[in-house]
Amino acid sequence: MHELGIVYEVIKIVDEFVIANDLTKVDKIILEIGQLSQTIPHFVEACYPAAVSDTPYQETKLEIIVLPARGECQLCHEIFNVVDHRKICPNCQGEDFSLISGREFNIKEVVAY
Amino acid sequence: MEIYKVLEIKKSVYENNDREADLLRQELKKEQTFLLNLMSSPGSGKTTTLLRTIEALKDELRIAILEADIDSDVDAHAVAKTGTRVIQLHTGGMCHLDAGMTRQGLEGIGTDQTDLVVLENVGNLVCPAEFDTGASKNAMILSVPEGDDKPLKYPLMFSLVDVLLINKIDVKEHFDFDLAVLRERVKKLNPNLVVIPISAKTGEGIGEWADWLRGAVKSWNQPE
Ligand SMILES: Nc1nc2c(ncn2[C@@H]2O[C@H](COP(=O)(O)OP(=O)(O)OP(=O)(O)O)[C@@H](O)[C@H]2O)c(=O)[nH]1
Ligand SMILES: [Mg+2]
Ligand SMILES: [Zn+2]
Ligand SMILES: [Zn+2]
Repeated sequence: MHELGIVYEVIKIVDEFVIANDLTKVDKIILEIGQLSQTIPHFVEACYPAAVSDTPYQETKLEIIVLPARGECQLCHEIFNVVDHRKICPNCQGEDFSLISGREFNIKEVVAY
Repeated sequence: MEIYKVLEIKKSVYENNDREADLLRQELKKEQTFLLNLMSSPGSGKTTTLLRTIEALKDELRIAILEADIDSDVDAHAVAKTGTRVIQLHTGGMCHLDAGMTRQGLEGIGTDQTDLVVLENVGNLVCPAEFDTGASKNAMILSVPEGDDKPLKYPLMFSLVDVLLINKIDVKEHFDFDLAVLRERVKKLNPNLVVIPISAKTGEGIGEWADWLRGAVKSWNQPE
């Protein structure tokens, strides 16, 4: 599954960060996932336990923040949620927009000591 | 008791892969090896098109193929029969390839003495679009039976490829596939996209496709 490979990548990045910053324990990993990312938060949560089992992150919690899919209308420059408004500008009904955010998949931060 | 701190990482999960892909691309450029990443839904005709492409270009370019079937080596066998070098990548059930896996495949097959490598990516229009493989150019095949509304459903894929092959054009009469509507939809997402209708079955359009690929390889080998 797509998400499993991604979670391994997350763990790899966190691990590099842990080593670089001399941390001993990570309590929580906080991810930011865009509403339009091809990676689904629910599936990330579902495969997370399998990915961390038998690793130093077995006890580490996972939190996901969903970032809204925001677009800017090309005609009137209204900024709106592309998913909620089904890609149509609520102000002028224009159908052309440029995406400002929504495809992210970031590791925001870790809670650790 | 130890005190937990919040430590900001703020790093895209794709960042490592993007960096590896850029590095791979630079190396291939130096070696004068062109890597084409070929993507599509399952069954749209990647392997059949590859066989046609090999036929058209094998006398002028030294070609190698990377096959990324999830669970079989059927396609690799079909390619091997043409006498072309081919390697089957072990994707371990993954639904996409990343730059690291692509590099392994390239190392396995050896790229010195190779002008053109085609990577048959995993059949899927979703996540291969999010993972840069390090390819020189990205190609996509959309086959007529899949419908002309695919750009509406998979905009990311259509917006990042350099060339789009519309395959199975020989059966167009049997489907309500409107090429003009498709071109319109695609243009909105990707104004510079080259669209080439082909039939891997009859050979129609393969000449134009081979010309495009020949040109792309040539400009890849030109010094900046
Ligand atoms: N009518 C027609 N059939 C085609 C054409 N190209 C491929 N096919 C048929 O479509 C089927 C799938 O073709 P493949 O080349 O195996 O497709 P693929 O994309 O490599 O498939 P996977 O690797 O399984 O994802 C085969 O039965 C081909 O004979 C075409 O241009 N016209
Ligand atoms: Mg195939
Ligand atoms: Zn995937
Ligand atoms: Zn508007």
